Amino acid sequence: MRGFGELESVIMHRVWDHGGPVTVRELFDKLQQERVIAYTTVMTTMDNLHRKGWLARVKEGKAYRYTPTASREEYSARLMREALDGGGDTQAVLSHFVAQMDGDESELLRDVVRRLTDRQPR
Amino acid sequence: MRLALPLFGYALALAWLAPAPLARLTAPGRDPRLGLAAWLAAMTSVLAAAAAALAFLIRAAVAGWNGLAEVVCRSVAGHACAQTVYQSAAFELILAAVAVVAALAAAVLAWRYGRSVQRARRQTRAHGEVARIVGRALSTGRPGRRTATVVIDGAAPVAYCVWGRPATIVLSSAALEVLDPDQLGAVLAHERAHLAGRHHLLIALIRGLDTAFPGVPLFGRGLDHVTRLSEMCADDVAARRSGRPALAGALLAMATGAVVPAAALGAMSCAVSTRLGRLAEVPRRAGDLRYGVALAALMVALALGPVLVALAASRA
Repeated sequence: MRGFGELESVIMHRVWDHGGPVTVRELFDKLQQERVIAYTTVMTTMDNLHRKGWLARVKEGKAYRYTPTASREEYSARLMREALDGGGDTQAVLSHFVAQMDGDESELLRDVVRRLTDRQPR
Repeated sequence: MRLALPLFGYALALAWLAPAPLARLTAPGRDPRLGLAAWLAAMTSVLAAAAAALAFLIRAAVAGWNGLAEVVCRSVAGHACAQTVYQSAAFELILAAVAVVAALAAAVLAWRYGRSVQRARRQTRAHGEVARIVGRALSTGRPGRRTATVVIDGAAPVAYCVWGRPATIVLSSAALEVLDPDQLGAVLAHERAHLAGRHHLLIALIRGLDTAFPGVPLFGRGLDHVTRLSEMCADDVAARRSGRPALAGALLAMATGAVVPAAALGAMSCAVSTRLGRLAEVPRRAGDLRYGVALAALMVALALGPVLVALAASRA
């Protein structure tokens, strides 16, 4: 459990896995098989995700059908892009484990690793 | 007013002259926490002196405009300043213009500082939220309510932390592929140390100062040094938690994108890294105390600096 906000992640991943447009009822039926959850909680969370721009919806009869506004891959790619070379400010506030290196430095390190691993009997 | 000018002078001198010796003192990364404290002490000293100078200036201006005109004239021209000069319309006009320009400049600086910090905060929060929704939760053995650890699909080995509530540690799937469990532990310990040490906050504040006062070496160079020293602080924590070989292996693996087997590094830690470590450590033992005392004395001097300048000026 990751506490608050965790449900948004769970539901987004379910919507992505679903493939096509999905209703609150369909998602609720699936989620209910694995956890204790109220229908209204699922509805509110999906409404929030719609408000934040993660989900688009069209009315169908009485209910809404929800579709993701972008694929999981698109979001991942955007995050990685932001993390690696994104706008100056984001770059500065994300503290990277290793800073970006120039070609020479990383080639030097690669060489060290190659020699270390070659010496080891596998 | 008599105090304002020397205090401004002190702030300017320190902001331009301190970076070179500070960089030399803290560059070897002997005790990164002490080094970090020394840079922050210098920045605080400069800001305190400048703020005090500004306060004296404003108090003098409020106390009496005529008095201010006289004092400004005297402090610039000394006793050569005659009544006919500082009571002339031209002089008052110039003085008023300077005051208005100074106030405008201060407002612009404050606005730039606020905007820079604000924008960084907004982008960070948004980035963290997207990462928490898109990423798969990584079970790290210590579930924390305040830190989420997530994995994002990505071809480059990347690991970083995003400040927020909750804070988020992000790893790319490629990073998980090249790290063994011990190395992963070292990476997580490193990122957690950043979060626990509030390093992002320090860096955001200094970055804001650098944006507000571009070209001031203490903030510009200070930003680089504080960033580097905070990495070393986090490395020290990670090395204590997970061991040096795991941390070194993690650094190599993340930097090159190649798997670095623990056995390979075992060989290295016996040979190259141990010898390098010994070379680096032997002189350090003897110098540690002296180094600590020297930096502590420097910090006391920086703390007292503005007060001493003000005292000396008020006696003069």
